[in-house]
Amino acid sequence: MSGTNAAIAVEIVKTTASGVVRSATIFLVAGIVALAGSLTWAAERGNEQVLAQLGGLANAEGWDRFLGVAAQVTAAGGVLGFGVVLSWMVGREFADGTVAGLFALPVSRSAVALAKLASYALWAVAVAAILVVLLAIGGVVLGLGRVDAEALDGLGRQLTLMVLSAGLAVPAAWAATLGRGLLPGIATTIGIIVVAQVLVIAGTGAWFPLAAPALWALEPDEVSSGQLALSTLVPLVVGWATLVAWRRLQLD
Amino acid sequence: MAEARLAARGLVREYAPGTGVSGIDLEVGAGEIHALVGLNGAGKTTLMRLLLGMLRPSSGVATIDGHDVVTAPAVVWAGVGHLVDHPLAYSELTTRANVAVAARLQGLPRRQVDAAVDRVMAELDLGRYADGRAGTLSQGNRQRIGLAAALVHDPCAIVLDEPTNGLDPAGVILLRELLLRRGAAGAGILVSSHHLDEVARVADRITVVNRGRLVGELDPAGVDIERAFFALVHAAEERRTP
Repeated sequence: MSGTNAAIAVEIVKTTASGVVRSATIFLVAGIVALAGSLTWAAERGNEQVLAQLGGLANAEGWDRFLGVAAQVTAAGGVLGFGVVLSWMVGREFADGTVAGLFALPVSRSAVALAKLASYALWAVAVAAILVVLLAIGGVVLGLGRVDAEALDGLGRQLTLMVLSAGLAVPAAWAATLGRGLLPGIATTIGIIVVAQVLVIAGTGAWFPLAAPALWALEPDEVSSGQLALSTLVPLVVGWATLVAWRRLQLD
Repeated sequence: MAEARLAARGLVREYAPGTGVSGIDLEVGAGEIHALVGLNGAGKTTLMRLLLGMLRPSSGVATIDGHDVVTAPAVVWAGVGHLVDHPLAYSELTTRANVAVAARLQGLPRRQVDAAVDRVMAELDLGRYADGRAGTLSQGNRQRIGLAAALVHDPCAIVLDEPTNGLDPAGVILLRELLLRRGAAGAGILVSSHHLDEVARVADRITVVNRGRLVGELDPAGVDIERAFFALVHAAEERRTP
């Protein structure tokens, strides 16, 4: 792919200047910390309504409960936030009409698509890292005690869950390309969340790649490494399909 | 004989009968400004998209400096500048950042970007908007950004679809001078427009497109170019009806 370095530099400039990305970063980081923190705070004080909503986590305590709630929120909210941003990164080129300017360049279109995915991945890892740091601070502020080895394990799982959730949202890029706009990507993201929830309730559990990361973050012993590895195939396979779709793209 | 900067040989890409491009042969030589004129839907934009690889032809070949656009290497594309459809102007970026982004995509090395951006922004009088975000600018100034993005790397093959869209009279004059300078420097320029008087001022050749075919040429020095244009279109329509 020719011009990949230039394409990545350009996508990073666009990502860092974007109000959409800034808003999504705040939504993801502040939203997850605020929800996990407030639910944990209410549960610690014996709020029965909140305890009923927490299900199995109601019986957990301290960091376990706090990070378990964060994982539950991330499972749905994380994929939604990541999917919206990726839909925008790809779909805006069609919606704004700038896609025509990405043709007839020494930078190939598949390099542009790869740059979008690379820029997205860098942003997602940064968001995951910021979230984990804020969760650690939030746990201490909530009086859950110091960050011990068990809490560190939980924070590590949260970091992995965020990164894997970002990967699960990659089909949004493919859909935004094929559908030539933001909405197909956002609709696909919502579809991923709904299907994952339904299949988890139906009992397919961790063998379903879209559900495995969240199940693993909540119950690490219930999900095998093979099941978790399956979920990494989603961004790899669909990411490759996205590059092919950009290479074959025509403005017809 | 020197290779044409841009060439179409038997190009076909039809959407429905009478729309798209239905078999066009065309050449734009080095140093030539070649204008396409035609009614809405005549096939001008489709022809330009085919020449730029934005569409694949059903048959025929489009070439740039002798290279088939379907397989042209990066080095060929590095010599092409275009503005077709919307300008490459991202609303969240400043004018300067937009042009710099285009320069990188056009293959300019990073160390040459600043000087090239300064040069083309001065040519298009964009200096006073350098730090303003594109989203806050008028349509005409976004069009100027699109033109700067298309020309920042001094391309030798230039394709511009309705480049005066949204431009004020000062912008039209700037564009005219800019095209004449680049043509004199050896660039092959294909430009479409609805403004017959304007194309007559810059073009070496004016080709009329109607229903996906080339139906004749206009003399840029002609006295009543509008009448000549409609005569050609009318004659083409007459030939279509049995």
